[in-house]
Amino acid sequence: MFLFTIKYFGFLKFVPGLPVVFDAWLKIYTLLTRPMLLDWIDDIETHMRKLPSVTAHNHKYGGLQFDRHKTEIGHIHSNGLLDMLLTRKIKAELMRQGLITDHHSFKNTGWISFYIRNEDDVRYALKLLRLGYDRIGERGRKLAQDFNKLFKQKTGKTPIEFRSN
Amino acid sequence: MNKVELAKFKGYAASNVLAFVLIGLNKLLLHDANVLIYAEFVIIPMLMGVMYAWFTRKYGMRTKTLAWASCVNCFIAIVLSAVFLREGIICLFIVSPLLLCFILLGGLLGRHMFRRDNNTLNISIISLMLLAFVADSLSTHHYENEVTDTMVVKAPPAEVWKYVVAYKRNTSPNKYWLFKAGMPSPVESTVEGYYLGARRKCIFSNGYVFDEKIVTYDEGKNLTFDVTHQPRDPEIMGHIDILRGQFLLKDNGNGTTTLVGNSWYRLYVFPVWYYDLWAQSITRNVHLRVMEHIKQLSETR
Repeated sequence: MFLFTIKYFGFLKFVPGLPVVFDAWLKIYTLLTRPMLLDWIDDIETHMRKLPSVTAHNHKYGGLQFDRHKTEIGHIHSNGLLDMLLTRKIKAELMRQGLITDHHSFKNTGWISFYIRNEDDVRYALKLLRLGYDRIGERGRKLAQDFNKLFKQKTGKTPIEFRSN
Repeated sequence: MNKVELAKFKGYAASNVLAFVLIGLNKLLLHDANVLIYAEFVIIPMLMGVMYAWFTRKYGMRTKTLAWASCVNCFIAIVLSAVFLREGIICLFIVSPLLLCFILLGGLLGRHMFRRDNNTLNISIISLMLLAFVADSLSTHHYENEVTDTMVVKAPPAEVWKYVVAYKRNTSPNKYWLFKAGMPSPVESTVEGYYLGARRKCIFSNGYVFDEKIVTYDEGKNLTFDVTHQPRDPEIMGHIDILRGQFLLKDNGNGTTTLVGNSWYRLYVFPVWYYDLWAQSITRNVHLRVMEHIKQLSETR
């Protein structure tokens, strides 16, 4: 049902508020068909919120999104579909292992999809999210290093030294 | 009753009392008391959800519990609407996905608000919702639309015309699920004469009669009639007015006729993005029921 809706009515995601309404209906559908999934998504949220600098909020196209420093780690739709951005290299490796699938909409990108169907999948989803969390951290660290280097080249001081003066 | 159960009970009671007070207030503010607006189907359910979340805020409701509670809250609201607002079963069935969705969204919003525990933000959100409620209640609501259906009949226009103006009772079984569920469907049409200005009657399966007046009578080509009187009941008929109907006949030149059915209607329920889907589906199936009957009668010579 989810993929059918995305395929034929996906264009409606740009109507303000409609994806949130769709996700609420998806929650009700999940409640009637796989109620445990709602608890598992809550568990993932609780776990993710414990990580430093992580916030959780509504995804713009429906679902629960996790950010680290305002950069998206990934989001879970209320039918248990985890979508997240990894590097193409990591994605290729995970796909070779048959653990994840191509993103349901963005093929040939670093985006992946993973369906949470049981408690083992919850643990694996957390691993994936942790991978995304660390990737953003590394990217942030590298950006900060590059910035500091450039800053010192231009001013002769590190940003901390510059501020303390 | 333990504390959690008591909080849930208070949540259900308070949210439904709030809803009925706001519906009463809305009736006072509205220009046309027959109109049911966006505020009643979107903002009130959301406020119900927020209210429930406020009563249960101390007990850390999980999403599954909140979703079940939203179902219960929606069910209570529907039963109360049937009893006090005298809404019909099919009508309530149609409205329930909308109510349930927004009660759940309100509950999730409320849970998020009360977790943050920022009173300024909470009061701002509630005030904005109430402001939207009042603004929507004071606005004018008017929506009209048209539905068109086409069918090829294997008979010449002169033959089809005989059954377009009036047709004998349709006894074939209904195909549309809402008709099968008990919603009245058109079964017969009678006319006092074949001329402009003649009175026509469209009779429905439950005995309802739509009085009509022929306003265009172009034999073999165009029959247009205005609906001059229609029944009001707690089901769909109370929330939609069929304004005008039309049958256009086009000779295909090969012994067949293209029959076009048009209906113009006015909706009294909002938001239209939800209810117009239903109105179009119902009107379309009223068309199809009549047109298939005309087709069957015309082709059986």
